[in-house]
Amino acid sequence: MTSKNPEYDFKWCPGCGDFGVRRALETAISRRTVEMEVAPENNVIIAGIGCSGNMVHLLEGDQPYGFHGIHGRSLPIAMGAKMGNPDLNVVVVAGDGDFLGIGLEHISPQAARNLNITAIVMDNGVYGLTKGQSSPTTDLGAVTSSTPYGKTEDKLHPFKMYLSLGVSFVSSTMSSQVRQMSTIMSEAMDHPGFSIVHIQSPCTEYNNTFELLKGNVRKGIPGLAYDIPEDHDDADWDAAFDIASNDGIPLGVLYRDTTRPTLDQRIDEVSEKVKAKSVASLLDSYAI
Amino acid sequence: MTISTTDIREKEQLISGSEAIAIACAMADVDVITAYPIRPYDTVMQFVSKLIADGTLSCEYIIAESEHSQFEIVKHASAVGARVFTGSSGVGWFYAFEALAVTCGLRLPMVAMVGNRALDDPGAFGTEHNDALAVRDLGWMLRWVDTAEEAMDAAFMAWRVAEDPRIYLPCAISTDGAFLTHSQQIVQMPSQEQVDEFLPPYDRGDFVLHPDNPITIAPQVNEDWLIEIRRQTDAAMRRARDVIIEAQDDMNRIFNREEEDPFIEEYMTEDADVVLVGMGTLSLPLKVTVRRLREQGKKVGFVRVKWFRPFPAPELQVALSKFKAIGIIDRDYSLGAPQNGGVLYTEIRSALYDVTPRPPMIGFICGLGGREVTVDSSTEMFDKTFEVAETGHAEEPLLWIGVRS
Ligand SMILES: Cc1ncc(C[n+]2csc(CCOP(=O)(O)OP(=O)(O)O)c2C)c(N)n1
Ligand code: SF4
Ligand SMILES: [Mg+2]
Repeated sequence: MTSKNPEYDFKWCPGCGDFGVRRALETAISRRTVEMEVAPENNVIIAGIGCSGNMVHLLEGDQPYGFHGIHGRSLPIAMGAKMGNPDLNVVVVAGDGDFLGIGLEHISPQAARNLNITAIVMDNGVYGLTKGQSSPTTDLGAVTSSTPYGKTEDKLHPFKMYLSLGVSFVSSTMSSQVRQMSTIMSEAMDHPGFSIVHIQSPCTEYNNTFELLKGNVRKGIPGLAYDIPEDHDDADWDAAFDIASNDGIPLGVLYRDTTRPTLDQRIDEVSEKVKAKSVASLLDSYAI
Repeated sequence: MTISTTDIREKEQLISGSEAIAIACAMADVDVITAYPIRPYDTVMQFVSKLIADGTLSCEYIIAESEHSQFEIVKHASAVGARVFTGSSGVGWFYAFEALAVTCGLRLPMVAMVGNRALDDPGAFGTEHNDALAVRDLGWMLRWVDTAEEAMDAAFMAWRVAEDPRIYLPCAISTDGAFLTHSQQIVQMPSQEQVDEFLPPYDRGDFVLHPDNPITIAPQVNEDWLIEIRRQTDAAMRRARDVIIEAQDDMNRIFNREEEDPFIEEYMTEDADVVLVGMGTLSLPLKVTVRRLREQGKKVGFVRVKWFRPFPAPELQVALSKFKAIGIIDRDYSLGAPQNGGVLYTEIRSALYDVTPRPPMIGFICGLGGREVTVDSSTEMFDKTFEVAETGHAEEPLLWIGVRS
C-alpha cells in the first residue's frame, strides 16, 4: 500500500468486533495473493468513513493498496478503481451508517450493473466513530445518544434489501467467526459480480451485541446467530429470501448467482456494437 | 451534564460554545431542529438532545439520514413558518451544498451553526474556515464568533436578522472546531424575558406556505425572472447591514452588553502602528501577543472581523486606513487567488482599494487543519508586518506561517 501516516493514532476500542474482521480480511487477501500469484497491492481496499473504515490504516502484514474515501461514497470510488483497472481485486470496507445510511443510494446501481467488486459491511447497528448515534440497523425503540427516548424508525433489513436490489452474492457472518468470515470473503472476491459480505461486528463501546448474537447458556440467552442449513441451495433466490425473512442472524452464503454478466462483460458486449467514427469524420460533419 | 430549566436561567454559566448555542435554541423556542452527526458540530446536537430529553426544550428534533436531507427538512419547515436551527461541519456542510444554495434564492430564514472543520481529503478534524466561506457568494449571512457568550448572542441575533421581513435570508454562525465547540468559558446569561424582548416570533406573513394561503414556492423561472430574483436577494443582503446595526443596539440595551461595534472588534488599536486582522478564536493568542509586545513597547493591535457577510467594508475602511501596515490572517486558503492570498486577505484588499491613505498590507495563512496559532507564530506575523511598515510594501505579499519543511 501507499505508506501510512505514522502520526495517525486511531485505535479500535478493546474487544471491538472490527479486530476479528481485520484478521479475516488479512487472511483472505494473503490467501488470494498466494493462490493467484498476484502482488498484494493488486488488492485495493476502499474504505468508508467510520471506525470500520479505519481498517485501511490498521491492516497488518503485506499491504494492499488503500484508499480512505469520503463518507458514504465507497461504492463510486470502488467503481472508479475497478473500471480504471479491471484486473484489480477491489474490496470496499464500510460501516452500516456509511453503506446503508448516507451511502445507500449507491447499492442499487452497482447491483444492476453487477460491478465485479466485494463490499464488506461491518454492521454494529450504530454510528461508532461519531459516538453512538442510531443507524439504519439500530433496533426500533433503542435508546442511543441521538434517540434518548427510543428510536422511532423501523430497523432496516439489509439481506431482504440486497436480494430485492439484485445483488448477485449475498452473505452473512459475524466477527467472532474468523475462519468462516475469511472463507466467505475469499468466495466473495472470487465471485464474478457484485458481492456483499455483511458482518455483525459489535461495537463494545455503544452497542455490545456479542452475547445477543452468540447466546449465553448460563444466562438463558439463546443467541440470534445460526448456521444456514447445509442443504440450502444458494442459487435459489426464493429460498434465500425466506432465510432473510426469518428472525435471527443467518451465517453463511444466502445467495449466489454466477449466471449474470459482470459490468466489464456488459461493456465489452456493447463496445462490440459500436460503429467506429474517426475524429476527422466528426469534424467533417460540422463543415459548413 | 444535565441542564434543568432553572439551571439555564442562572446568570453565569460555565459552558462550551456548542452548549451556548443549544441553550440559545431553547430560549429562542425553536420549532424544528435537524441534525446529522459530524465532528465537531455534533457537540451541539448532543446538547440539544439532552435539553429535549430533560424537557427543557420542546421542538421537532429530526436526525436525518444525511446532511442533504437535514438542510432540506429545515428549509421547508422555515417555509411553513417554523423557527429552525441546524448545522454541520466541513464535508458535511458541503454534502448539503445543493440545499444551502437554494435556501437563499427562496428567501427562507434559517440559522445554522458551522463547527468549522477542514475539508477532507486528506482526513482532518481541525479548524479551517473554508467550509463556511464556500457559501459566501450565495446569500448566506456569515458570522464568526470567538467566545461562548458571543456564540449565544450571535444565535439570538441570527434569528432576529434572518427572520426580519426585510431580510429573509439564512445565517450561519461559525464556531472554530474544538477551540470553541468543545471549550468551556464563562457566559453571562440573558434572562428569558430579555430574550423575548429582543427576539420577536417569526412571522412569514403572506409568504407562509399554508393551505389558507395557496402559493407555490420555487417555480421554474429561467431567464424570464431569475436575474430580478437575484437582484432582490442582493437588495436583502444590502439591507442586512442596517438591520444588524438596529439589532445590535437593541441587544446591547436589553442584554446590558457593553456598547460594541456590530461588525468588528478592535483590540488595543487606538495608538497602534501595526495591526493584525483575523476571524474566530485565533483572537485569543493574538490578544495575548498584543499585550506581551506592548509590554516591550511595541505599538500593536488586533482587529477581529465578526460579520463576513454582509462584509464590513465601511468599518474596515475607517479602522484600517490609519495604521502604518496591516497583516491579514486567514485560517483558510483560496488557491490561485490574487497574490495567492486567503479569502479574508483578498476581500480586505478589495475593500481598501478606494481608501486614502491605503495602508501597505501583507497576508498570512496559518492554523490550517486545526494547527494551533501560537504566541510565537503571532509574534512572527507582527514582526513581518513591522517590516512592511518600515519599507512601505510587502516584499512577499503572502506568507504561510508555521509550515513544517
Ligand atoms: C458527509 C459526512 N457527514 C458526516 C460525517 C461524520 N461521520 C463520520 S463516521 C460517521 C458514521 C459512521 O457510522 P458507520 O458507518 O456505521 O461506521 P462505524 O463507526 O460504526 O464503524 C459519520 C456520520 C462525515 N465524515 N461525512
Ligand atoms: S466505538 Fe465501537 S465500533 Fe468504534 S472502535 Fe470502539 S467498539 Fe469499535
Ligand atoms: Mg456502524
